[in-house]
Amino acid sequence: MLLERVDNPGKLRFDVPYQMAMILTKINRFVKEGKIAIVARRCDEKAIAELVKRDLLDGSRLELIGLACSAEQVEACRCTDPCPSRVDIGQPSEPVKDDQNFAGMLDMSLEDRLDFWINQFRKCNKCFGCTLNCPVCFCDECLLEEKTFAPDKGIPPGLTFHLIRTVHLADKCVECGECERSCPVDIPLLSLRKMVNRDMKKMFNYVSGDPERMSPLLTTLEGDPMEDDPNVC
Amino acid sequence: MNDFNPNILAFCCNWCSYAGADLAGVNRLQMPPNVNVVRVMCSASVKPEYVFKAISQGIDGVLVLGCHIGDCHYLTGNHRTAKRIPLAAKILDKVGIDSRRVRLDWVSAAEGEKFQKVVTEFVEEMRSLGPNPMKEVRF
Ligand code: SF4
Ligand code: SF4
Ligand code: FES
Repeated sequence: MLLERVDNPGKLRFDVPYQMAMILTKINRFVKEGKIAIVARRCDEKAIAELVKRDLLDGSRLELIGLACSAEQVEACRCTDPCPSRVDIGQPSEPVKDDQNFAGMLDMSLEDRLDFWINQFRKCNKCFGCTLNCPVCFCDECLLEEKTFAPDKGIPPGLTFHLIRTVHLADKCVECGECERSCPVDIPLLSLRKMVNRDMKKMFNYVSGDPERMSPLLTTLEGDPMEDDPNVC
Repeated sequence: MNDFNPNILAFCCNWCSYAGADLAGVNRLQMPPNVNVVRVMCSASVKPEYVFKAISQGIDGVLVLGCHIGDCHYLTGNHRTAKRIPLAAKILDKVGIDSRRVRLDWVSAAEGEKFQKVVTEFVEEMRSLGPNPMKEVRF
């Protein structure tokens, strides 16, 4: 196992914060050289892959120690992909087959669905918890802090705010569920993300967190890379 | 017939579709009056953010028109449009707004008639869909 190769592994923590991937983008500030070993769940692993693909993180300086989530955790996150590519700690659990939470939302008529979401979004107090705690929300200057898209005064911020977050995360969201857990007013953000991720799979056969394939929104129709920076939203 | 007059926003790229719209005008093709044309440099500058803002503020339909694939002035600009606009429409559907309210099409500088056809059809479709429900929503 990896730890045997290291003389002094330092302090090990298993309570990995979900924001780990974003924290690691500042890696050069606290560890100038050498490698860092991180205990990573499947979703952390996928978030890291998204950031590495976008040149925000140097993957060659990381060594991942795979942590398999327990059955209770899998249940709580309604996780459909809980097993890291390498399990070093814990026992792999069965994924949740079918997420019932959003199935009901898709059965509603368009009118009811709009009603449902408007009432959800009306609760938003623009705390930015969903943004700050997301492991793949990486822009330094957030578009949502501009008054073009969300009024600078007053809450709730309106529908545009949430739609923009949805489209920005469409090709990145790794379904860790941290946005939904962070939301003080319990907006079912994870369900919305999961529905859109399912659309991404249907439209482009793309699943966020794939270390090999660049987001289809950043490539041409043939799948070739575009010239501009991959790290824009 | 339903006498609802939809309010339409049409983003046209400078190099093809806007010229196509111009041609339609020069040829005096009959055009519905309820279309507001916004000239953009490339259809790729129509980010989903703008589409969402327009729809959230109650515009009845958004039309995005660009050069045909392969003809974009910026080479692969419209490749990006071809992926993000359908995604934006899908996202609207998820929160309960009819995805037909957003349409993407390609119109070249020589296709004045196609411009007229696309716009007229879209206006008719929006007329049958009725007003954007977001018009009535106060946050
Ligand atoms: S579930 Fe929420 S917090 Fe986690 S990656 Fe997706 S959008 Fe970000
Ligand atoms: S965490 Fe919830 S309340 Fe806070 S900005 Fe996000 S959606 Fe709004
Ligand atoms: S310039 Fe017309 S679509 Fe890019």
